[in-house]
Amino acid sequence: MDAFYAAVEVRADPSLAGRAVIVGGSGDRGVVASCSYEARAYGIHSAMPSTRARRLCPEAVFLPGRYHLYQECSRQLHEVLQRFTPLVEAISLDEAFLDVGGARRLLGTGVEIAWTIRRRIHEELGLGSSVGVATSKLVAKLASKAAKPKASLGGTVPGPGVTVVEPGTELAFLHHLPVGALWGVGPATRQRLDRFGVATVGDLAAVPVESLVAAVGHALGRHLHDLAWARDPRAVEPERVAKSVGHEETYRRDHHDHEPLRREVVRLADAVANRLREAGRAGTTVVLKVRFADFRTISRSRTLPAPLVAGPALAKVALALLEGVDPSPGVRLLGVSVSNLVERPTVQLTLDDADADAEDVARAVEKVRRRFGATALGPASLLGPSGLERKRRGDQQWGPTSPPSSTPRR
Amino acid sequence: MKFRCERDVLVEALASATRAVTTRGGTLPVLSGVKAALAGDRLLLTGTDLDLTIQVVVTVAGGTDGAAVLPARLAADIVRALDPGAVYVEVHETEARIASGRSHFSVRLLPTEDFPRVADTPADEVTLDAAALVDALRQVVPAASHDDARPILTGVLMAAEGDGLRLVATDSYRLAVRDLPGASVLREGQSVLVPSRALGELARLLGGADKGGAGTVSLRLGERDATFEVGAFAGGAAAGGDAGDPGAVGAMATRLTTRLIEGQFPNYRQLVPEHHPNRLTVGREPLLDALRRVKLLAREAIPVRLQLRPGTVQLSAVTQDVGQAEEELDAKYEGAEMGISFNPEYLVDGVEAVAGDEVTLETLDGLKPAVVRAVGRDDYLYLLMPIRVS
Repeated sequence: MDAFYAAVEVRADPSLAGRAVIVGGSGDRGVVASCSYEARAYGIHSAMPSTRARRLCPEAVFLPGRYHLYQECSRQLHEVLQRFTPLVEAISLDEAFLDVGGARRLLGTGVEIAWTIRRRIHEELGLGSSVGVATSKLVAKLASKAAKPKASLGGTVPGPGVTVVEPGTELAFLHHLPVGALWGVGPATRQRLDRFGVATVGDLAAVPVESLVAAVGHALGRHLHDLAWARDPRAVEPERVAKSVGHEETYRRDHHDHEPLRREVVRLADAVANRLREAGRAGTTVVLKVRFADFRTISRSRTLPAPLVAGPALAKVALALLEGVDPSPGVRLLGVSVSNLVERPTVQLTLDDADADAEDVARAVEKVRRRFGATALGPASLLGPSGLERKRRGDQQWGPTSPPSSTPRR
Repeated sequence: MKFRCERDVLVEALASATRAVTTRGGTLPVLSGVKAALAGDRLLLTGTDLDLTIQVVVTVAGGTDGAAVLPARLAADIVRALDPGAVYVEVHETEARIASGRSHFSVRLLPTEDFPRVADTPADEVTLDAAALVDALRQVVPAASHDDARPILTGVLMAAEGDGLRLVATDSYRLAVRDLPGASVLREGQSVLVPSRALGELARLLGGADKGGAGTVSLRLGERDATFEVGAFAGGAAAGGDAGDPGAVGAMATRLTTRLIEGQFPNYRQLVPEHHPNRLTVGREPLLDALRRVKLLAREAIPVRLQLRPGTVQLSAVTQDVGQAEEELDAKYEGAEMGISFNPEYLVDGVEAVAGDEVTLETLDGLKPAVVRAVGRDDYLYLLMPIRVS
């Protein structure tokens, strides 16, 4: 999707059309999650610190982001995609791979299908999208980028919408792209590749695989070599099973004491448990992630003898992990996640469940929440001046918003 | 310091003391050492990680008194590797020389002044029957938790109960309770929480001492520590040796001192249901054999299911994409027909721990704690939470 979150916001409020719209954390620590092409013309891009974005374009409209809206939109998008093939692999809310190999007889060539998909999305969602058509996931993804609109100060230049890389022409397409376009090439790797004078994918392809391995390590070296030669045998996998479930949150101000952090851990654990339950799964390893004021990030984990799913049990483990962390240097981010997930056919009960079945309680809580809303019931420690302050998925995705007193005008 | 000792005696003494030595490179390097102190013919070896201290007294042929801290693991490995016979140990300023036959080692010492002082033990001493204590420890210690996140559960509760001593441990999945009637160690209402690791070591020491016939263990309780002694620790061992006889080997004595865990042990009494409507009675060995077979198909958190019916208990396990196992045992059963699932390891632990030929399994329903006991004995119970199968 083109500038997905920003486009959804513009669709919801047409008066924003043609303006620089930025979705993300507006506070000092926020980052840009998505921005309209008008904003991109100022050099703003996603993952950029919001403070910098604001300096680049002071008149931009900052929006905090409404994850639930995007999620709903994403659901509709996938509904559309599912009509073309069951082989849809979602890689994010607004990106997916489709294997249309089996749909060609019914629906036409890959290119024809691409144009149809794009039209349907526009008709049904009112949003712009770009499609890349190629023989591998790698090239298709890069082709979709090439199909996107381009930002310029003179106005947004529409992209081709659909880019096709015909079989046999992959290398010609790939080799003139900058090496950073490849997956797995971040700033650190790019720096190492610089020493070989590698700027484009073509340059990378020319480096002997042995030298590459020596420069960036065995796995990555081989992987990059393959990618540079357009060798990407990965199939489209319709169901990517999540390996972990977690939430994290950056705080507007650093926390130096355990007390507020304990409350946050309960909040995060409650939200993680909720998602585990929705997914019908349980986890065996609980991980607490802590980022300090100086960006030093640590994680502490505990693997349990039996998988657990209930919020209070999860919070108990995460709180114990928190006790082992000294918050005095200042904690700017906390995250709680659960991994080693198992389908949930069985749960080892504990003696804590013996008199009041924690599972029964959790189920009853879910019922109440479904009927009376997400904030109807929750851990007492989350009670704040404005009621329960539960963590919801997507809150603060991109850092905290600025405090109410300095909320930017819309 | 200078002494001579039989290899086997020194090996055993070093091995015992070294069990308290921390393997994790802690903040205090000297803790990786074992302290050897010689007074006359009495050699005292001390290993500690500050929480647990194990001291061994052994009679050797003493030459010069003195004290030194040797790297524990290395010293133990060296002595164990020597040929049987006399081992000569001589400490110089910065190194210890260990020699036997034509083997010569010199090992750098750790600073003796850094070695922590071992706390004095209170004088009040009570005596416990070693065999009964070992028995009780083997039944209770495995149920304690190894999870440092809940330190209280890593301890074993020792509490006065009636005219005897009660040991309780739980890891929150199961709970083991053992009574030692007549062993009045604590004042009425008094209880202490002893780290299960220390008691595991104690059981190991007593298991070894059993062979030598050590009949009693003495226990002293302090404010923060508990001390267990096996054999004549204070002075007795030295008196038993004979300095004039070059090969003299005195009786070995061991003292184990452990820090107590502070905190409130969970109220376990309320967890034990007063009344169980369903009771299965089955042979202990046949049940263990069947469990060991069926659990081959119950790996990685897969439960074993027990179907309880009049006259029989059926055990089964299913691992998806692998296979299934099923076995039926003759049994006496009073109660309503029901199914209940357990972690097979936990159930095996419980059934193994009870004494006697027959065990009972008492249940309420598939989600409530079940109790394993020996038929005709009420000094031990093992409470076990089932696995909920959704």
